[in-house]
Amino acid sequence: MLPQRSRLSVLVFLVPPLALYGIAVLLPIFQSLFLSFFEWDGISPMLFVGVENYVHMFTGDAVFWTAFRNTLGYVAICLVLQLGGALIVASLLTLLRRGRELVKTLYILPAVISTVAIAFLFQRIYSLDPEGLINQVLEFVGLGGLQHAWLSDVNTVLAAVSIPEGWRFTGLYMLIIYAALLAVPAELEEAAKLDGASWWQTFWRIRFPYIRPVWITTTIIATTNALRGFDIPYLLTNGGPGQSSELLTTYMYKTAFTSTNYGYASAISVFVVVECLVAVGLIFVLLRRKADA
Amino acid sequence: MRTNRARLAVAATVAAFGLLLTGCAAGSGTSADPTNVDPEGEITPHEISWLLSRPADGGVITAMEQIADEYAKDHPGFALNLITTPDRPSYIQKYETLAAANKLPELFDTDATPFAQKLAANGTMMDAEALLKDLGVYDDYRPAALNYQRFDDGSLYMVPFEFQLEFFWYNKALFEQAGVQVPKTLDDFPAMCTALRDAGITPIALDGQDQWPLERYMAYYPFRTAGPDYVQQLKKGDATLSDSTGEQAVQWLSDLGSAGCFQDGFSSTGYSDAQASFTSGKAAVYNIGTWELNSLATDALDPAVRDDIDYFTLPVTADSVTAANEYVSPSGIGMAVNSKTYDPLVRDFLGFALKRYPEVYAATGALSPTTTAETTIPANATPLYQRAVDQANDVGEKTAMPWDTQLDPTSNTRLQQELTLLLQGEVAPDEFISTMDGVIADNGPKAFQ
Repeated sequence: MLPQRSRLSVLVFLVPPLALYGIAVLLPIFQSLFLSFFEWDGISPMLFVGVENYVHMFTGDAVFWTAFRNTLGYVAICLVLQLGGALIVASLLTLLRRGRELVKTLYILPAVISTVAIAFLFQRIYSLDPEGLINQVLEFVGLGGLQHAWLSDVNTVLAAVSIPEGWRFTGLYMLIIYAALLAVPAELEEAAKLDGASWWQTFWRIRFPYIRPVWITTTIIATTNALRGFDIPYLLTNGGPGQSSELLTTYMYKTAFTSTNYGYASAISVFVVVECLVAVGLIFVLLRRKADA
Repeated sequence: MRTNRARLAVAATVAAFGLLLTGCAAGSGTSADPTNVDPEGEITPHEISWLLSRPADGGVITAMEQIADEYAKDHPGFALNLITTPDRPSYIQKYETLAAANKLPELFDTDATPFAQKLAANGTMMDAEALLKDLGVYDDYRPAALNYQRFDDGSLYMVPFEFQLEFFWYNKALFEQAGVQVPKTLDDFPAMCTALRDAGITPIALDGQDQWPLERYMAYYPFRTAGPDYVQQLKKGDATLSDSTGEQAVQWLSDLGSAGCFQDGFSSTGYSDAQASFTSGKAAVYNIGTWELNSLATDALDPAVRDDIDYFTLPVTADSVTAANEYVSPSGIGMAVNSKTYDPLVRDFLGFALKRYPEVYAATGALSPTTTAETTIPANATPLYQRAVDQANDVGEKTAMPWDTQLDPTSNTRLQQELTLLLQGEVAPDEFISTMDGVIADNGPKAFQ
């Protein structure tokens, strides 16, 4: 039990950030929830429509479901690149004797470049006319027949908009996982090796269980970030061609700011919040259960 | 002690919410009479702002900056604060958010969209026709320039600052190489594209990324076969794309797609890449307005293609109800005057600026929205420049309205998306028609109530 003065100081330090959190995060969420029961274009009087926006969203809006499926695909690609890539690079980094700092810096670099610059960069990389990097390389290695307008093909566009986002943050997660891997006691690994464990066994039985708490946190951060992904797809294709790269976030943005249908956009935003909470819950349950097993 | 603290916390929370609410409410201004264009009172110089969506180094901003400086000399304390967002979707978002928060500045740009019509209906915008008449400049404007700004009911709430003609620019040498002639009718387009493709030439350079350039093609066929009224009926649900007019238009677009009229990967090609494709002699046709005269009809153009560039206007169709000299002749995004901040100074400045503007603007080599100023042809212009400028005097009465300024925003967004799919061959004409008719039926009538 903290003495009276300490409790007061804890309150003094905790209340301002909590209040800020309430105003900046919770209040907008509740405002969205409130708005989602109305039809409102921003200038006319608000019209109460009950759960009509939700009914339309779930039963009458094909674009919403397309955007939802695209979001899942986008999240999957981002996670494979970010977590898988980060784990591989971090593991390789622990084997490196020299130049670790340089490699780390190079990998983290994309995370500090502005999103708009990254979008422009990838627009050029994917371009067919004028020929971008990928198509030039294909031509150079004699695979000119595979040249493609990557951002215009409905079959490739979702992967094409997910890759920049995945690539961008791989370095950041690599750094977190690398720090966790460094904390794995060397004696344990050495003992395992002496007992004849393979590299894979050492990794799977010793290293991974040791970094599991960090892995859970990283997975949660990466998943929620990907679920809220917006800027790169919006800048690269604006959801197109058609709705092939439309995400829930870009659809919500267009509904609010192009169609000025703030009520329906709020309903979508409430769905995004719930979706993030469900995803976090699932990750917790799945990874914890594995740990307990 | 604990109860007191709890009460204090509740009181503080209530006060904080109270402050928030008053903060939200502070935005509501007092409503003024939108037809009272000559308010009484003294002219007190102060800063006024214009939220606009025009190129920062373009003719309109350059001219208005010069005019504002001239006005400020006689009215110390006056300043015109120009806040531009040239990217149109970003601009629209900014302007609509400010409108929702009741924070629009004295002057702001808008097209004659359903949203703008709501603003006019709730008294946010001054009656531009009354204002221009009161200032004695109404008759100076080209009727086509004013008509472009009008709402469907004929009311005028925006002032035009430009006048543009949209042409099909083409490369004579590439046409010759492919053995094709300038299309006489819109139906000649697919064959023209096929011949150009066969000759290894990109038929038409298109900025697919910005979507409005492709949407122009949607407007062309119905404008010829049914006239400008078609889109006005369609957007309200009084006509459908499954009508013969709509069907023909969609089929024509689908034919353009099958003939490979646009460059591969057009949907991700941006404005400057599309233009570069034409000006570098790679693409044979480029559909753009006279705002690009400086790039297409001056010595800024690559000498290798400079003498090969010419233009043709929107071809007719066999049963065309509009004349060959009627096509897209927009007067650009218009400027609205906020009635809630309208005062004698705003009126006095607009009186000064709108009288002075045509001369200053035309001196930059652009077409004035009025007939009172002659465009100065730049020293480095090719003969095509003068020809394009003279063409403005021959424009007919009816204007092909760009559909992105006509449809409700939800239908418009969906149309832009579906058009790309139609042209890429991802959806069949029938599917396109049923999707769009459904979307317009859901959103159009509601938006234009």
